[in-house]
Amino acid sequence: MIILDNISKSFNDMHAVKNISLTVNTGEIFGIVGPNGAGKTTTIKLITGLLTPDEGKILIGKYDIVREPIKAKAILGYVPDKAFLYEKLTAREFLIFISAIYGIPQSEALSRTDEMLELFGIKDVEDELIESFSQGMRQRLLFASALIHRPEALLIDEPFMGLDPFGVRMLKGIIKDLSSKGVTIFLATHSLHIAEELCHRVGFINKGSVISVKTKEEISGVKGGLEGLFMEIGG
Amino acid sequence: MLALLLKPRLLSLKNSVSTKVVLRRLPFILIGIGFWILFYIGTYKVLSYVRGIEFFGEILSRKLFSMTFFSLLGFLILSSIITAISYFYLSKDIPLFLSKPVEIRDISRLKTFDSFINSSWMALSFMPPVFIAYGISYGAAAGYYLLVLGCFLLFSLITAGIGITTAHMLTRLFPAKRTRNVLLGIGVMLFLMLYFLVKGLIPYDISTPDGFINSIMSFKTESPMLPSYWVTEAVSPVLKKSGFSIFYLIILLSNALFFLLLSEIAGLRFYRKNIERIQPSGERVGRGIWGGYYPGINTAMFYKDIKTFFRDTGQWSQVIIIGALIMIYVYNFKSIPVNALSGFSFIKEIMVLVNLVLSGLVLSAVSARFIYASVSLEGQAFWIIRTSPVDMRKFLWAKFLYGFIPVTALMLVLVFLTNLAMNAKGVLMYLSLGTVVVLCVSVSGLGTGLGAIYPKFKYENIASVSMSLGGMAFMLIAFSIVIATLSFEAWIFYVYSLKGAVDLSAKIQIGLSVIMIILINAVAFYIPMRIGKRKLQEQGGII
Repeated sequence: MIILDNISKSFNDMHAVKNISLTVNTGEIFGIVGPNGAGKTTTIKLITGLLTPDEGKILIGKYDIVREPIKAKAILGYVPDKAFLYEKLTAREFLIFISAIYGIPQSEALSRTDEMLELFGIKDVEDELIESFSQGMRQRLLFASALIHRPEALLIDEPFMGLDPFGVRMLKGIIKDLSSKGVTIFLATHSLHIAEELCHRVGFINKGSVISVKTKEEISGVKGGLEGLFMEIGG
Repeated sequence: MLALLLKPRLLSLKNSVSTKVVLRRLPFILIGIGFWILFYIGTYKVLSYVRGIEFFGEILSRKLFSMTFFSLLGFLILSSIITAISYFYLSKDIPLFLSKPVEIRDISRLKTFDSFINSSWMALSFMPPVFIAYGISYGAAAGYYLLVLGCFLLFSLITAGIGITTAHMLTRLFPAKRTRNVLLGIGVMLFLMLYFLVKGLIPYDISTPDGFINSIMSFKTESPMLPSYWVTEAVSPVLKKSGFSIFYLIILLSNALFFLLLSEIAGLRFYRKNIERIQPSGERVGRGIWGGYYPGINTAMFYKDIKTFFRDTGQWSQVIIIGALIMIYVYNFKSIPVNALSGFSFIKEIMVLVNLVLSGLVLSAVSARFIYASVSLEGQAFWIIRTSPVDMRKFLWAKFLYGFIPVTALMLVLVFLTNLAMNAKGVLMYLSLGTVVVLCVSVSGLGTGLGAIYPKFKYENIASVSMSLGGMAFMLIAFSIVIATLSFEAWIFYVYSLKGAVDLSAKIQIGLSVIMIILINAVAFYIPMRIGKRKLQEQGGII
């Protein structure tokens, strides 16, 4: 579903991402972990089309994100690590706006908006301006907006930022449910225990290169689990 | 401590200045220098004319100097209040400072510095041509330039002190976001009251030289209680080389210190409590009659922008100010003694042209505020657009329409009313309205495009986008397009009136002028929109 074919990206002659090749299958939850500044966010920004790779090719489904960005973005959902939203819209208006730019018909958009507001527990604040939302509420709204068009692939940068334990539990359930329904999930995180619990495979990235990819089974066979492996590979 | 708190700003400035940045901004800098030169030449010519008037020349010259500072006094105080509210109470770095072991006194001093710089930089950068014109006209020595600069800085510090003190008091009475609007409302009312008061004070007939001189002299700007008077009294003797009196310089200095101290006392007294009162709380918004409306894929951006605009009080309060200024504009045209001037040939046509030039100035200023800033208005939420299946061409068109529709409606009403006030009907009216539509298309395209080429997504206050170097450059380019278009139109009119469209030379000149009008406006619209679309597609680093 998501194919990264030898992609590289530099900023001022510094490699942020270097020759990454990866394939994430349909319905798979793929986690990417690594130290700060390793290239996780840059990789996700390249997949979303926010950045253009200097070399290589990125396919979302059958669409190249550089050559057919509109078609590729239409089947992609993205949750960034920083929740900048339209502060002067209400949660409901924001979801309706997102539905409209994804071309969802009115009747469906309204029912999906209600469904998302309920699912993420923000129905009671649907008519409040986003500017008054806490970090956790913003994160819930971000997820709702990333899922309202029913994407085939979901990219998440630090998924549990600002969420309370109820929110974390709820979100883990939603991610597993999406995966079981065939949605491909690519997540970047520092929460190793969550990556270990959720991901079918985990990639280790350092200095812009993916240095190792391990399956859930391989990770569970290592002493200390993902954390032990992280320290071993990272060290 | 203030030096320490200022260090991040200085380091940010140092880190953001590079050869690349300077080269990128070079066109804007050159446009600014060009404007300075033009402003200097204009001021010098007016001053030479005024000084040449027999007997009254020197008195008028001094009067114009004091009137300049008198106008600046009101402008800078109002600007300081609005800026102080933004920097003291709405800045994003406030929570950081409050969570660190930093004294309120030091935060207050830092914000005083910020408010002073940001409220007065525009006046500081526009005034030098006026001072230089005076200096050269009078053949003043180097001491004059140092003195006038020093007096202007002290004058700006006085207005900053008054503005900051008022901002603290007003925020004590109202929450910051409401204060800004209450204030803008008060500002507009004061401005209108002052205007009509002045209008009532001056003799109505300004069509004769005597009437004109009487009108200028009747402006009550010379109260010894006003800082503008102190500046005039301090500078005038040095300008005219008739000595130097330190008295008014000391008055300026002591008042600057007094008002800064007063603003610090007000800050120490109210700041901490005021900050606690303005913390955001849940605000439920009624869905209203449009609650059930669902925008289509092409209208979604427009729908979102309109909703945001009407909820952002900082935005619509500026509409009130523009409305008030336009009211004054129309009122002024109504006051023009067209009948007294009816003896001159083509006076109506000339007045219509002058009206179009002035409307063009209004169009440039309004577009800088609302159209040039429209792409930046997305702020850091621009990632939403970039990751959605939205074609940047459609996005830019939505931004274009968001600005073009209201600005065109406003300009059409403005020109229609002013033409009616001057009794300009028929062909002149149709030609004016047609010109306005053409200019609105090109200036809106230019504003949307340039705004996309130089977006400022990380802004402290949306007004800072239009007041940036890019915003000022846009305004000057837009006004140049207005002038170029109107010059060709005037040329067509001149050739047609003089020769008629009979001989070949006249036909060629008219044809070439029409082509030039179309070309200038098409290029102004198309090129920036095209480059803007490409630049937005490349935007990645800001998100």
